[in-house]
Amino acid sequence: MSRDVEELSDVATRARITAVDMVGSVGLGYLGQVFSSAEILTALMGHYLEPGDRFVLSPSHYVTAMYAVAVELGQLERQLVSDYGRDGSPMETIGSELTPVVDFTCGSLAQGLSVGIGYALAGRLAGNRARTVVFGSDGEVEEGQTWEAAMFAAHHGLSDLTLTLDCNDSQVDGRVSSVTTIEPLADKWTAFGWTALEIDGHDLGQLFDALEAETDRPKVIVARTTPTAGLSAIEDLDDAHFMKVDEPLQSAMVDELAGRL
Amino acid sequence: MLRPAPYETVLKPYGTALLDLARRRDDVVCLGADLTRQTETDLFRDSFPDRFFNAGMAEANLMGMAAGLARSGLRPFVNTFGVFATRRPYDQIAMSIAYPNLPVRLVGFMPGLSSPGGPSHQAIDDVALMRSLPNMTVIDVADAGEVSDVVEMIVDLEGPVYLRLKRGEIPVIFDEEYSLRLERATVLEPTGHIAIVASGMMLAPAIKAQQIARDSGVEAALVYVPVIKPLDRVGLLEAIGHSRGVVTAENHSVVGGLGSAVAEVMAEEGLGVPLRRIGVQDVFATAGSRPYLFKKFGLSSRRLAEAVWELSGASGPIPAFDEVTEEKPGIHEPV
Repeated sequence: MSRDVEELSDVATRARITAVDMVGSVGLGYLGQVFSSAEILTALMGHYLEPGDRFVLSPSHYVTAMYAVAVELGQLERQLVSDYGRDGSPMETIGSELTPVVDFTCGSLAQGLSVGIGYALAGRLAGNRARTVVFGSDGEVEEGQTWEAAMFAAHHGLSDLTLTLDCNDSQVDGRVSSVTTIEPLADKWTAFGWTALEIDGHDLGQLFDALEAETDRPKVIVARTTPTAGLSAIEDLDDAHFMKVDEPLQSAMVDELAGRL
Repeated sequence: MLRPAPYETVLKPYGTALLDLARRRDDVVCLGADLTRQTETDLFRDSFPDRFFNAGMAEANLMGMAAGLARSGLRPFVNTFGVFATRRPYDQIAMSIAYPNLPVRLVGFMPGLSSPGGPSHQAIDDVALMRSLPNMTVIDVADAGEVSDVVEMIVDLEGPVYLRLKRGEIPVIFDEEYSLRLERATVLEPTGHIAIVASGMMLAPAIKAQQIARDSGVEAALVYVPVIKPLDRVGLLEAIGHSRGVVTAENHSVVGGLGSAVAEVMAEEGLGVPLRRIGVQDVFATAGSRPYLFKKFGLSSRRLAEAVWELSGASGPIPAFDEVTEEKPGIHEPV
């Protein structure tokens, strides 16, 4: 499913626009997560993942980003965008069992890596080489379950398991770094027995290289990102975790993003 | 249907049954958390090491891994002590297992006051916690033959299951006439003004209490409820629907377990009769031997017989009877 960087870069940008429209239609939502993760999800869904691979979305608050990227890649019908956040629609604003596109969602944070390990163990038992990718976020490493899972995966040498970590330095109470110290992240994962690659999470070329890097250990991609996507309309925003989007802000963000295409 | 007390015991029926199942079913996988011999799964581990996963002392991760294995089409049996199988990873069970309705079989050992280890090891709230989760089946069996049968019965059951099990020596209470049915409660004594409803390790004391009451001139019906959720309302009502009082017996807190489940049915059906819930009376217990704890915290034949006696309207104290005070190896006799 490989595509070139330029084409997928446009997919990521168009996904941001689509997400702004989705969140704008309900007035508020998890938009900072879309801005930070658009390239990571585009690299996974538009380039890396193949049929048979398993994909776990650990922080389900990112599901808006998944919808948007899936729509722009033609994996989800565009008309579903208008159902976003509507009562009775499966296009829920926090991912659930009703959510299209993913194999497992976990709105209660930091549960996804463990489920991914279960997939990887099942794949190993079945003798297939299906890959498991877990999308996680930096705030989730505050939960102890992350490190329980990290120890287990390394102990069992689960080299078919990849964790992409969206490090956008954003959580409910503000910057992750203002709440607690999770750094040095790459060193922590390395110490736990993982192969840790630290990259610019908005650089698709770096994402491709990191995803394809060979290793005999479980792999974590520490992807440094920003929840504002460099948009001047929100550069002074304090709370990127849950954004209020009125019509003027929606137009300003869409215009600025469209200028990047 | 019932054998006479004291009961012979069988050693490790669960571990043996799980091994038998694994021999026939290569989709059965076994998970644990540093309590392999204690959950009788050393038998499984030694025969099928590739299908055995020890999470270490990490129950949150344990439950998530079981979810991933289940969603991949496997049938995980997850074994640890009841406290660590329910209290500690509750959110993981709720969101990664119960909500997606995955066929994970949680097996919680040392239910209620069967553990000598004090509050940290005594699962007095596991039934309440698991019963409150949508999709979850909750089972609390009493007899060694049932332990063997239930492993086979739950493997293909839809959705998640919580099975609480005494470990080690399990009494043989039923004869060959009895067979466990997950959808039915079993009426062991159909007639009586008072009805006793028992589950799990309180079946043996309930049988004894029913006999003590009868010997004292009070007839009590007795119904055994091995599956607390979904509760067999029809079977339960057959036994308690015409009684003047109901006594529940559970090796668990009286909050949220069998007693609460029966109270809900009685209230919804408009049975305006008194209810006495015999179990751990909303307190944390202490360390101690099983006979000591069962007696001290009221999980005894005496406490049950007294409740039946009181509800029957009989006057004065219950007549004297022989009481068991200590446990002997190889046989089981309730206090």
